[in-house]
Amino acid sequence: MEKKFDPTDYKMKSGLEVHHQILTERKLFCRCPAGLYSTEHDTEILRHMRPTLSELGEYDGTALMEFKTKKEVIYLLNRESICTYEMDDTPPFPINQEAVDIAIEIALMLNCKIVGEVHIARKQYLDGSIPAGFQRTTIIGVDGWVPYKDRKIKVIQLALEEDACREVSDVGHTITFRTDRLSMPLIEVVTAPDMKTPDEVADVGRIIGDVLRVTGKVRRGIGSVRQDVNVSIEGGERVEIKGVPRIPDFPPLVLNEAYRQHKLLNIRDFLTECVADKDDFKAEIFDLSDIQGRIRHRLIKKAVERRGAALKGVALRQVKGLLAMETQPELTFAHELSERVRVIACLDQLPNLLHTEDVSVTGLEPEDLDLINKAMNLADEDTGVLTWGSAEDAQTAAQEIIIRVQEAFDGIPNETRQARKDGLTDFERILPGPDRMYPDTDSPPTALDSERIARIQKGLQPKPWDIEKEYLSKGIPRHQSKRLALHPRRTYFDRIINEYDIKPKFAAWVLIDLCKHLKRQGVLLEELNDDHWNKFAELVADKRIFREGIATLITYMADHPEEDPDDFLAAHHITPLDEASLETAVLKIAGEHKGIKLQDEQNWHEVLMGFVMKEIKGCARGELIWETVQRQPR
Amino acid sequence: MEKEGLKGYRGAAKEKLISLKARVWGDVVVDTSRGEFRGIILPRSETADDQHIVLKLHNGYNIGLHIETVNKIEELGYRKAHYKIPEKSFPIDPDKPKVTLFGTGGTIASRLDYRTGAVIPAFSPGELYGAVPELVDVCNLNTIKLYGEFSENIGREHWIGVAKAIAEAIEDGADGIVVGHGTDTMHHTAAALTFMVQDSPVPIIIVGSQRSSDRPSSDAALNLINACRAAGYGEIAEVLVCMFGPTSDQYDLLHRGTRVRKMHSSYRSTFRTIGERPMAMVSTSEYVPLRDDYRRRRKDNLKVKLTPVFDDRVSIVYYYPNMKPDIIDSLVDNGYKGIVIAGTGLGHVNRPLYPSLKRAYEAGVHIYMTVQTLWGYVQMFVYDTGRDILDLGVVPLDNMLPEVAYVKLGWALGQTHERDEVKDIMLTPIADEITAREPIDGYLVMQGGLPEVKEFFKSYKR
Repeated sequence: MEKKFDPTDYKMKSGLEVHHQILTERKLFCRCPAGLYSTEHDTEILRHMRPTLSELGEYDGTALMEFKTKKEVIYLLNRESICTYEMDDTPPFPINQEAVDIAIEIALMLNCKIVGEVHIARKQYLDGSIPAGFQRTTIIGVDGWVPYKDRKIKVIQLALEEDACREVSDVGHTITFRTDRLSMPLIEVVTAPDMKTPDEVADVGRIIGDVLRVTGKVRRGIGSVRQDVNVSIEGGERVEIKGVPRIPDFPPLVLNEAYRQHKLLNIRDFLTECVADKDDFKAEIFDLSDIQGRIRHRLIKKAVERRGAALKGVALRQVKGLLAMETQPELTFAHELSERVRVIACLDQLPNLLHTEDVSVTGLEPEDLDLINKAMNLADEDTGVLTWGSAEDAQTAAQEIIIRVQEAFDGIPNETRQARKDGLTDFERILPGPDRMYPDTDSPPTALDSERIARIQKGLQPKPWDIEKEYLSKGIPRHQSKRLALHPRRTYFDRIINEYDIKPKFAAWVLIDLCKHLKRQGVLLEELNDDHWNKFAELVADKRIFREGIATLITYMADHPEEDPDDFLAAHHITPLDEASLETAVLKIAGEHKGIKLQDEQNWHEVLMGFVMKEIKGCARGELIWETVQRQPR
Repeated sequence: MEKEGLKGYRGAAKEKLISLKARVWGDVVVDTSRGEFRGIILPRSETADDQHIVLKLHNGYNIGLHIETVNKIEELGYRKAHYKIPEKSFPIDPDKPKVTLFGTGGTIASRLDYRTGAVIPAFSPGELYGAVPELVDVCNLNTIKLYGEFSENIGREHWIGVAKAIAEAIEDGADGIVVGHGTDTMHHTAAALTFMVQDSPVPIIIVGSQRSSDRPSSDAALNLINACRAAGYGEIAEVLVCMFGPTSDQYDLLHRGTRVRKMHSSYRSTFRTIGERPMAMVSTSEYVPLRDDYRRRRKDNLKVKLTPVFDDRVSIVYYYPNMKPDIIDSLVDNGYKGIVIAGTGLGHVNRPLYPSLKRAYEAGVHIYMTVQTLWGYVQMFVYDTGRDILDLGVVPLDNMLPEVAYVKLGWALGQTHERDEVKDIMLTPIADEITAREPIDGYLVMQGGLPEVKEFFKSYKR
């Protein structure tokens, strides 16, 4: 990557689509149990997907592209987790109202406007991830917001939809899916491209996640959340990075995509220098069967001899240099071509192409280059690409290579890309447009009346950012306020600070920092129930235990949940001392240790404090003890 | 203007649109008490309520807005949708067979009807070519739209109309016939055409789809391609239903029109041959006959034996316990001339019906017995009950399916009302509506959970 590439220099914009499964008993459009996952299957079925016309009479670009790939789609079926609805052999049952209620609740939490009537739509997916070829989805709310820094991040919409299958394998022309997750209800939160830096994208992802979790009605665990990150820079196009599970992965992916778009814009400029107009660009496909037996390159030799592959060449006229231009760190434009070939022509054995600009050791040898140059009449300014596979696939691949180069004249194609582990991305498919939406003729519209919305509004959890503000106003530090706002024991916390004479700041310290510390030390806090904590609050409120002693007390209570903490206090002589008794006690301890030898006499009070705390820790406030200790002469 | 401009809206919703000067296809901002919404006003389904306005948001989603929440509608533009399947002229290849495709309705090719929110068929060869371009590699297609009816509305006049049209097309030299049909009553039509159009020199294939062609996972395209192959190249010159064999996209089965029945309300593999094997498997690469007792394609004589008649004063009485005699009486009193009973077990009804059946017989009504078990034969000699019913003049129809018996009796009564002649027609099979024997693999309804079925289920793509 260029040194100090700063995406804000290129007016980067980024938005999020957060998909989160919600906690319902059953699936969205059938009565199958929700959340029953299994890797076992009882049988399988085979389907193909064909593009259909949109409601407005157009074919969707993605749909057509995916039809080119001619995939056989296999679904693995488990009889416990799916029924004939998911396999698209039974029409939908009425939409799960429990799920609609949760979606309304979340939409209200995100300050969305709730629609008057729910219309189920079919969103086409021809990649096979849903046996019907479409996902049933519906808008519950639009036009909401979440607060971020000193501004609002716009929430474009909240949709309720059914989840798709999990891919098991994708080899050649066969893609296999497991169906257990299929049709699980999930909500999709779509934000506007209001985030300006890679870190902001992660921050907003966290805020949305927090809102969803505060409802207590979303599923937790692996696979329950998937996020799509949309990125564009000035002069660029929206590109979607699909299915990123972890928020910490956002910043590098966003940064890299902004960089890729920047580089693709450079490539566009390069191309217009080579060929003034896109329409003047010339590319030809060559059937190289005549020379394929003479090519010495190991990969081609193997493919031709062992697998009977057909070799095709693509001559890209007057654009020499294009394929070696960088697109992502360590990747060149050739990678963009190779990815299209992999996905669309199903040539998934990499590398799936070689080109004349590759001068590395794995590239074509001079003898091969001579043959190829001659066969395709390559001039000095031309570039040649070779691809191989079955005659049909190789032809699709060659055509796709030309299409991708033509797209480069326009800059950045609208794409859905998949995240790699190294923070870079690979091509997944062309980004679908609104043309893939189709009304679901199997489901009638359902009204969402105002009483229902009012009822849900009434039971709404306070929003995390409002709670946080409230805690801040009570003097609780910011990091604790933030954590408290989302804490599962928050309502209990509120009750304690209301019912007992305990400072909120102190209680927050116990719940957030101390408990975290104790947990790390292996203290089994889950042993403690509300009765324990009530007792603890009572001891603190009555000033029978002080800050310095409570870690020991909580540890004792967790270790002996059946015992009375009063016994512990008595056994350890933890009784509150008034100032006079404290003075006496400290004086006595000081007398016992008068004879101690110190390397540095200056440390006397610190050393004495140590002895004192060992004996009367928790019997008085620490500050008071320290003051008393400091009054003791050496 | 107003009619188009408020398409599908009625009552309160229509008034609201008029009062706010809004119209269908308007690109609008709607101010409501729940907030502001932007989108295009869509026509409303006529079966939906009159309390909501439908908006297509710019992301493609539709939503409804309750009219009581709507304060103001501001039109920013106008964008009318033209739903059209791309038409391409169907190329002619003299080396390929000529197939005539008759449309009666159904969802082989379809588009959305905004008025009802349902799908309606689209049909011209150009549209079909646009939707299923692979057809060009199969045959030269000539399409004739006869009707645009859903399956349940197909009946007497359509059967007669289709039968005549088929005969004409065959005389005109078609190498095969395909009839596009809704699936619900496809097997009734298949039986009717079997009786009405006999001795066809070419295949007559009835085809439909269980998932309409507006969905990516539709079975329509594959069914249509396979039907055209079966019609254009297939050797079996009979009336056949061509529908998915398994629910997987693999091959279609060709079922004899008199032995086929729709057996599931929604599965793709809903059509099954009852009590026999299907005639053939057909896929985009193969045509495999499963039997050899069929009428072969011939080129010598292009005439068919056409008998396009039907008397619809026939009813099926599906017997149930506690049935009262007035059921039979009311049919007789209403002038019905034929009754097909779907009896229990081997072909039984209860004793209280006997006097009514006797009365019906004496009134000249033709009464036939079939079994509601679908599989197996009527056998009325096993129990006394059966013998008693025979004595009343009820004629057993062996293993003829109840729906087929209904169609055949209507067809027979269209020709004659002479009791013996009708009986002769009914008992003389034309195309296996009665078979002499039930093969040992004619009744295969597997049960889930059995170890051997589990094993099979696991290895077989259904």
